[in-house]
Parts: sequence; C-alpha cells; structure tokens
Amino acid sequence: MQDKYLKISDLNDYIKSVFDENPYLKKVYLRGEVSNFKNHTRGHLYFTLKDDTSRISAVMFYSSAVSLKFVPEDGMNVLVEGRISCYPAQGTYQIYVDKMEPDGLGNLYIEFEKLKEKLAKEGLFNDDIKKAIPKIPKRIGIITAPTGAAIRDIISTIKRRFPICETILFPALVQGRDAAPDIVKQIKEADSGNYDLDVLIVGRGGGSIEDLWAFNEEIVARAIYEARVPIISAVGHEIDFTIADFVADLRAPTPTGAAEMAVPTVAEINNIINNYEIRLNEFIGNMIHKDKLLLERITGSYILKNPLSLYEIKEQKLDNFIDTLNNNIRKRLENGNLVLKGIKSSYVLKNPMSLFEIKKEKLIFNEKCLYSDIKNIIIKNDHNYKMLINTLKLVNPLGILEKGYSLVTKDNVLIKDCKNLKKDDILNIRLHEGNVIAKVQNINNN
Amino acid sequence: MEKSFEDALKELEVIVKELESGNVELDSAIDKYTEAMKLAKYCSEKLKNATDKVNKILTENKELVDFDIEGGTNE
Repeated sequence: MQDKYLKISDLNDYIKSVFDENPYLKKVYLRGEVSNFKNHTRGHLYFTLKDDTSRISAVMFYSSAVSLKFVPEDGMNVLVEGRISCYPAQGTYQIYVDKMEPDGLGNLYIEFEKLKEKLAKEGLFNDDIKKAIPKIPKRIGIITAPTGAAIRDIISTIKRRFPICETILFPALVQGRDAAPDIVKQIKEADSGNYDLDVLIVGRGGGSIEDLWAFNEEIVARAIYEARVPIISAVGHEIDFTIADFVADLRAPTPTGAAEMAVPTVAEINNIINNYEIRLNEFIGNMIHKDKLLLERITGSYILKNPLSLYEIKEQKLDNFIDTLNNNIRKRLENGNLVLKGIKSSYVLKNPMSLFEIKKEKLIFNEKCLYSDIKNIIIKNDHNYKMLINTLKLVNPLGILEKGYSLVTKDNVLIKDCKNLKKDDILNIRLHEGNVIAKVQNINNN
Repeated sequence: MEKSFEDALKELEVIVKELESGNVELDSAIDKYTEAMKLAKYCSEKLKNATDKVNKILTENKELVDFDIEGGTNE
C-alpha cells in the first residue's frame, strides 16, 4: 500500500523543480530596497528585497558578489537580475542574484539633462565658438590616467600614424570624487601656455555611467570651454555621450579615435606635399607657356617683320600734309590779290581833288545859311524887345498911382476889402509921391 | 636653427597659394617656385627620416620626464 503522506523534502524538491522549469522565473529583473543585509564570512550575501507592499528573500553568492562595484547596505535602492528558486531546507523561495547595481541612475540622468540644458542655454555648445583642430600638430597634450588602455591607445595610434609628433601626458584621476577637480587642474596647466600645445586630448576609456561621471561635471565643462587650446574629447565608447563631449571643440568616439582625429598619417602628408609639387609644376609650366605665346605673337607681328613699312606709311602721310599746306597758301594769296585790285580801281583814289571840291562847296553853302539865320534872329529879337517894354509900361502899379490911385496895407499886407479890419487898426497908405499912416475910424461893409 | 617640419609645410602652402593667386611676376615666380620645391623636398625627407619623438609626462613637480607607454601601463 502506498503511504499517501509525503516527505517534506520530497514536496520541497518538487516545488523547487516547478520553479526551476518555469521559463519566466529563469531570468527576473527586480527593483527594490535592501534590508536585513548580511555579509557572510564566506563571502555570500543574504538580504531581503522589499518595496511598499511586498518582500522577497535574496541571496548573492560569492562568485557573483565579487564583481560588485559598490558595497550594498540596508535602505539602499538597487536593481537586481537573477533567477527564482526554492531553498528546500527552509521551504522558502528566493531570488538568486547574479548582478546588482545601485538604482541611482535615474537621478544621475536627470542631473545630466539639467546641466546639459543649462550649458546649452549659456551657449557653451555653440558651433561658432568651436576652435579648429590644426591639421598638422607639432605637439599634443593628453589628459587621462597614466595607466590603462586609453593612454596606451592614444600614444600608440599617434606614433603609428605620425611619428614626428610629440606628446605630453598630464596625468589625471579619471574616476571617483577627486577626478573632476584633478581634470580641471590639468586642463588649466596644459592651457597655461608653457607647453606650446597645438591640441589637447581629454578623456578616458569605457566604464559605467558613474565611472564616466567626472566628464559630466560642470567644472570640467567650464574648464574645457575656457581653454584657448583646441580640445578633443574622448570619453568611453562610441555610445557614451558626456557633457565634456558637447562642449569640446571636437568629440571623438574613443581614445583611439581622438588620436586619429588629432594627427594625419604620413601617407596623407605625403599626398599633401605631392599635391603641392604638382600644383607648383603646373603653375610654372602654364606661366612659361603663356609668356612664350605672348612673346611669339609680338615678335611675329607685321611691323616688327617689315620695319620699312612703318617708314613708308609716315612718308605718305608727310606728302599729304605738304599738299594740303600748299593748297591753303595758294588760296590765301588769291583772295588777297582780289581785295587789293578792288581797292586800287576805286574813283576816289584815282581823283583825289574831287573829294576836296565837294567839301568846299558844302562849306560855302553852310556859311551863307549861317549868315542869313543870324540876321533873322537879331531882327526878331529887337522887335520882341520893344513890344515887351510897352507891355511893361501898361502893367506897372506905380503907373496907376500916377493916375491918382493909392495902395492901402496893414502890416505889409495889401487891403482889398473891410473884412479883416476893425476900429483903431493902423493902416499904411501909399500915394504917387509919399506915404500916409492912418487910423481906422469907422467901417462900413457896404 | 633647423626649420621644423610643420613650419616648412606651412611655408610651402603659403607659397603655392600666393603663386596661384596670379599676382606674381615671372622672375620672382621662378624664385618662389625654386624655394617651394626645396621646401617640398625638405618636408618629404623629414617624414622619411622621422624617428619617434620622445613622449613626455608632467610630474607632480611640474617637470617633463620621458614617458614609456609599455612601462607606464600595468595591464
């Protein structure tokens, strides 16, 4: 008969197999808070993961825990990856954690975006302030850790491509709390002008976002912005973008990439030199060819080949001038002769006395006219004079007095009526001979 | 002092551009051409004979000392 009662271990083994075979439980991602954390002496970690309403036991064995990049503690928010299984000895199910990292990334991301927006607004990322990277640098500064893949990649790439370039390493911490100020210090040192750098590479190799965080710090961004030497950023891998990348004059995907951008290859330089030589030869060839053509054209001209023709043309021109001159002079002489002939043949020139006789006749006639005119004027004036004397005699007021009339004046004004006279006025009466002073006795208006 | 490779190359570039601008008379063009070809040869020679320049590292005391990438790495 079969016993219907199971052994506990059998049940728990069965339950474990159910967990183990379920495909959904083979890989589970959880976010939660650590509590009851225990670090066993043998290196295994035991703790509980919880959120607001639930909890689950967790174990992380030494083989996985050894690669943890932080030390977990109670109250810490974490992201874990693992499988769900059963621990038959205790009859509990739990998560077997393979990977765990702090759940602060969300906050870091927000911080990153905030700073990026702020610096972009200030213009630190503007294209027009980016400095050109010199094509052929003499000396390159490198700011990174003195050990590790990054510096090795950068130097070996530069040496492989362009061995005559010098490098100066300004060693800096590239992760941890002290990294950002250290990077800033070395950027300022490299930019001090003491090292005559043509370009500066600032960067580090790949890592987690926390590892790269120094390159997202504001002080690093501002140091890159303020530097006078052109800066190539080379932080992490192709996919990693940091604030330093945005503010740098040029962003390289990797440290090796930065070295490639900083220096040309010997072959490229050789091409440039060859190209210059070709251009020089072409230029000088063209110039000589052009000048030669010009010279040929000039030496081949008709005049230079037939110098006598130059003389013949002038000769002909001279003849033309002489002909014109002769014609003009002849015409002038002929005109002059005609005028002279006209003058010579005039009547007056031939009979000069006739001119005198005409004047003499006119003089005699004028003399006669003058004499009779004067005689007439004298006779007329004498007559007028006698007439005037007679008239004058008739109108002389003193003549009237002779006939018995008299002149009465008052205050030297002649009195013609009684209007302005009054009794006792003194009157002067002028008679033909002598004056009388009289006083008015009576006035009769009528 | 010997002319640096970079300076020689820059000078070469300047002469080529000056000649190509077309403002140079024949006599001085030929002088400049000769000078430029000398510079080109000088640059090529320098590249051919280029030996690795020493890499330096700035110490805490702000001194530049030789830096060996093999010795300087610990991986």
